[in-house]
Amino acid sequence: MSSRSRPPAAALALVLCLAGAARAQQVAPEELVLDNGMKFLLLPRKDQPGSITAGWVAKVGSVDERPGITGIAHFFEHMMFKGTRTIGTRDPAQDAKLSAEQHRLRGELRRLHLGQQYRRWRLGEITDPWDPKHDTDDMKALRAELAKVVEAQRAIIVKDEFDQIYTKLGGTRMNAFTSHDLTFYFITVPGNKLELWAWMESDRLHDSVFREFYSERDVVHEERRMRTESTPTGVFSEQFDAMFWASSPYAWPVIGWPTDLNSYTFEQAQGFFRTYYRPNNLVGVIVGDFDLAQARTLVPRYFGRLERGEDPPTVVTLEVEQRAPIRMEAEVEAAPEVEVRYHSVPFDHPDEFALEILAELLNGRTGRLYRALVEGKELATQAGVRQDSRKYGGAFSFSAECKGDVDPAAVERAWFEEVIRLVEEPVAARELEKVKNRVLADSFRRLEDNYFLMLQLGYYEALGGWRYINEAPGKLAAVTAEDIQRVARTYLKETNRATALFRRKAGAAQSPADAALEKLPANLRPMAKQAMGQLAQMTDPAQVQAELAQLEAQRAQVPPDYHPLIDFVLERMRERLAALQEGK
Amino acid sequence: MNVFRRPRRSAGALLLGASSAGLLLGASLLGPGRAAAQDRPADALPKRPEELAFAPLAFELPDPGKLRHVLPSGVPCYVSPNRSLPLVKISFTFRGGRYLDAPGAEGVAGAMGSMLRRGGTKSHAPSDFDDALDFLAANVGAGTSEYRTEASLDVLTRNLEQALPLFIEMLRAPRFDAERLRLYKQEVLEALKQRNDDAGSILGREWSALMYGPTHFKGRQPTKASVEALDEAALRAFHARVVHPGNLVIGVTGDVDPKEITARLEAALAGWAKGERVPDPPAEAAQPAPGVYRVEKDIPQGKVYIGHRGVQRDHPDAIALRVLSEILGSGGFTSRITKRVRSDEGLAYDAHAVVIPGLYFPGEFRAAYQSKSRTVALAAKLVLEEVAKVRAEPVTAQELETAKGSIIEGFPQTFGSPAATVGLLVEDELTGRSFDYYRTYRDKVRALTAADLLRVAKEQLHPEKMAILVVGKWEEIAPGDLEGRASMKDLFEGKVTVLPLRDPLTLEPLQ
Repeated sequence: MSSRSRPPAAALALVLCLAGAARAQQVAPEELVLDNGMKFLLLPRKDQPGSITAGWVAKVGSVDERPGITGIAHFFEHMMFKGTRTIGTRDPAQDAKLSAEQHRLRGELRRLHLGQQYRRWRLGEITDPWDPKHDTDDMKALRAELAKVVEAQRAIIVKDEFDQIYTKLGGTRMNAFTSHDLTFYFITVPGNKLELWAWMESDRLHDSVFREFYSERDVVHEERRMRTESTPTGVFSEQFDAMFWASSPYAWPVIGWPTDLNSYTFEQAQGFFRTYYRPNNLVGVIVGDFDLAQARTLVPRYFGRLERGEDPPTVVTLEVEQRAPIRMEAEVEAAPEVEVRYHSVPFDHPDEFALEILAELLNGRTGRLYRALVEGKELATQAGVRQDSRKYGGAFSFSAECKGDVDPAAVERAWFEEVIRLVEEPVAARELEKVKNRVLADSFRRLEDNYFLMLQLGYYEALGGWRYINEAPGKLAAVTAEDIQRVARTYLKETNRATALFRRKAGAAQSPADAALEKLPANLRPMAKQAMGQLAQMTDPAQVQAELAQLEAQRAQVPPDYHPLIDFVLERMRERLAALQEGK
Repeated sequence: MNVFRRPRRSAGALLLGASSAGLLLGASLLGPGRAAAQDRPADALPKRPEELAFAPLAFELPDPGKLRHVLPSGVPCYVSPNRSLPLVKISFTFRGGRYLDAPGAEGVAGAMGSMLRRGGTKSHAPSDFDDALDFLAANVGAGTSEYRTEASLDVLTRNLEQALPLFIEMLRAPRFDAERLRLYKQEVLEALKQRNDDAGSILGREWSALMYGPTHFKGRQPTKASVEALDEAALRAFHARVVHPGNLVIGVTGDVDPKEITARLEAALAGWAKGERVPDPPAEAAQPAPGVYRVEKDIPQGKVYIGHRGVQRDHPDAIALRVLSEILGSGGFTSRITKRVRSDEGLAYDAHAVVIPGLYFPGEFRAAYQSKSRTVALAAKLVLEEVAKVRAEPVTAQELETAKGSIIEGFPQTFGSPAATVGLLVEDELTGRSFDYYRTYRDKVRALTAADLLRVAKEQLHPEKMAILVVGKWEEIAPGDLEGRASMKDLFEGKVTVLPLRDPLTLEPLQ
C-alpha cells in the first residue's frame, strides 16, 4: 500500500540487534477480515469498564483528489452525517425526488457558472464568476426555483437524526477528521451498544444519500472562511504549502480551493464514494469493554452487507527533488512568526526515526530550542520542530513565534545556528539518553487511553500498518548520534529549504472585506470584526434577512460617525445573504 | 496540521427516546447474543435502530473500602492498581487554595502553586531540577485552584525510585528561585492587562463580585499591586500553611502493589511535620439585591447572566435540581431556554441555564446568553418566562424521560477510568461525602416525578429575586427590539444599577 523503501542494510542490522533490548509494550488487536475485504482490528480492554470506543477509516484523503475536485474527501466527512434512506427523512421516496430535482437545477446553474460566467470573468466584466451578485436573470430564476424545492425537502427532513439517535442512547465524543491521507469517523458508546454502532455505521456506508448536498457545501465553504480566510496566517500557510510541494498532490489544502468547493456535482461525489468508500478500502477499529465473540458475530453480520469494489487507484505523482531554496515573506496582523521547512521522508522510512529523535532533542522544556531561543536569547515565546510523515512524502519543519517585535529573520538565523550545531557536533550521550527515555515513556503513555489508542490503530493501519505502534519504539531506541548528524546533513540543507517569514504589519489587504475593514476608522474596526464573526455563524438566510432589515432601520438612528461601520456591516450582510441563498 | 473536525454543536441533547414498544419488539426478534450469520441476507437486519435490543449495561460501582489505605502517619491514600502498563501516577492533593488569599494579597496561592514546579528545590537549581526530571522522563505538575493545591507525578515504574524523592523534595523544600519568580510575575502582569479585552471576562468577573460580594474570595481578583508585592516570604508562608501532611490526601493509579507503594510513600513522608489543617471556606450566603446591573462596553451585542444564589451540593433537592436544570437549560437543543431563545427566535448562538451546586456555600442558578444589543431585553424576557413556566406547570412525560435517561446513561462515565475514580474518591475524602451518594444516585433520579420537579422549581427558582447583569452598549440595549416586544424598562420596573468598568490592572473604577 504505502511506498515503503527498503531500509539500508546497516540500519536494519542495528534495528534487529536492538529489537530484543526494546522493552516497549506490544499491542495485539485481533485482525478480522471480512469476505468483502473490510479489515477490523478488535482490541478488548477492561481498564475503562462500561464503554467502547470505535471507529472506521477510509483510506482516502486530499492526496487522492485532482484539481477541480479538491476538498471532496473532506466534504465526505460532512456528507456522511447527513443520513440515509432510513435515517434523516420522513418520506424517502419524496426525499429522493426532491434531491433529484435539486441536482437538475444545480446542474443547470453550474453550466452557466462555468460557461457564461467564466467567459464574463475572462473578459473582465466580473471579478468572481461564482459570486451570486453577478447572477444573470436566468440564474436568478433557477435559484428561485431551487429555493422552493429546498423548502419542500426541508419539511420532510428529520434534522440531525443521526446525531440524535446516538446521543439519546449514550453515544459521546462523536466526531470525524480528514487528513491528506485518510478520513476517520469515530465515537464512544456504552458497553452494551456495540450493535448500535454496527447498525449506524454500516447503514451509512451502505445507504448514504448525501442529503442537503448543496447547503452542506456552503457549510464547508464557511468552514474554509473560518479556518483559513479569517485567521491571520491561514491564507499564507496555504500559499506556503502550495509553494513547498511542487509536483505532489499535497500542494492543495485538505479543505479544498474555493472554486472547487462551489462546483462539485452529485455525480462526482457518487463516483468518489464508489471508488474509495468500498469495504476493501476501509478499516474498522473497536477498542474497549466488549465481548470478542460477540464482535466476531456482529461485525460480519452488519458490515458484510457492503459490496466489495475494485481496488482503488493509488497515487502516482511523487514530489520532485527541490533544487533551490524557496522563500516567502508576508505581512500579517499577528505576532511575527517564522517557519523553515524541509522535504524529508514518508511514513515508516528508516530515516523517520532519526528525524523524530532529532525533533525530541530540540523540543520540550529542557530541549535545545527552549533553552536557546526562549530562555537564552529571548528571541521567541515558543519554538518547536516536527517531522510530518505522510504516505507519499514527508516534511520536517521548524516554527517559532517571535517575542515582542523581534524580527523573524533573527529567529531564522538562530535556527540556522542550531542546525550547524546538529551537523557539526555529535549529540552528547546523556542528552541522547534523556530523549530516548522520554520516547520510551511516551510509547507507554500513548496506550493508556482507549480512545487515543483506537485513533492510532486506525491511523497507522491506513498509512501502512498498525504494527508501527509496536515497532517504532525499538527503531527510535536504535537511533545513534551519528544517525542524527547524518539526517541533519542530508535533509536540513539550503537547497532543500523553504522559509516563511511573517512580519506584523497592517499592510496589504487579504480580501475585499479586509480591504474595506482597513478603510474604517480604527475605533470602529473591532466592532466590525465582531459583527463579521457573528455573521459567519449565521446559517439561516431568514435570520440574516431580519438582521439586515433591523440594521437598515437603525442606520438613521445612529450618529453619522458610525455610518461607515453600519455600511460596512450591511455590505457584508448582503454578501452573506446572497451566499446563503445561493446555497439553498 | 491538516486535520479538520466537523463543527459540533454543544454536547447536550441527550435523549432516551426509544419507544418501549420498539425495544420489546427488538428483544423478541433480534437480540444480540444470536448465532453468527455472516451470510444472512441484508433484509434480515433490523430496519431501524429503535428495533435493536440491548443487554443491561454491566456496570459495577467500585468498592472504595478496597482502594482506601491510611498511612501510619494518618494520611489517607487511595490506590487503584492497574499493571497493564509500566507507568505510575501519584497525586498529592492538599486542602487549601485561592480562598485563603487575604484581601489585598490576591494571587499568592496561585503563585505558590506555579512556583512549586518552576522554582527548583533546596538542593537543585530550577534548570537542574527540570533536567533531572526530564532525564527520568517524569512528568511533574503543580498548581493551586479555588480550594486545592495539587501536585502530580507520572513516571515509568522503573524510574519511580529516583523520581519520587525529587517530587517529594519539590513539595517539602521548594526553592522559589528569585529569577524564575521575576519571570512568573511578568507573565501574570501581561495576562492582567488583557482582562478587559473580552466582554466575557468582564461579565464573569463582575458577576462573581455581584453574586458573592466584594469581600468573598470569589469576588476578589489579583491586581497590579498584589502581583508586584509577591515575594518569596509570601510564598513560603502559604506553603507552610497548606503543603503538609495535615492537609493531604494521596491518590495512586497504575503499576503498583498497594502494600509496597504505601510503605514507600510513608517513608517519603517521614519527619514531615503535620501542620494544622486549614479551615474550610466560610459558609456564608450573601444575596445580591434583585434588579438589572450593567457594565458599559462598546460591543455590538450584550452579554448577559441572569440568576441568583442557589443550594449547596448536599441539599436534599440537589438531584431534582440537576434534572430540572437539564430540562430548563442545560440539556442542549432539547432544553427549553435553548429551544426558545436560539432555535425558535434566533436571538442567540448560545443560550443555556444551569444549576451550579456550591461545595462549601450555596451555589447559583444561572442563565446565560449573548444577543445583539436590540434583542437583549427580549431574550431576558423569554428566559424569565421559561423560569416562570417551569414553576407553574409540570414538565411533560417526554421531557422527564429524556432528562432522566441522559443522566442515568451517562452515570457510568463518572467512573470511566481508574484515574477518574481515584480523583473522585480523593475529593470526596476532602469534603467528607459518603460513597452512598453514588450507590443511590440513579435510583433517586429514577424516582423523581413531574410533581417533584414542580415543587422544587417553586421552592428553588425565584424570578423576582434574580439579578440580571448586562455587559454591552446600553444606549442600544435599553430601547429593546424594533417590534416593541420588550425593552429593558420592562424588567424590575426599569431600575438599573450602573457598575463602572474597572481598570484591568488596578481594578479601580475607570471614569
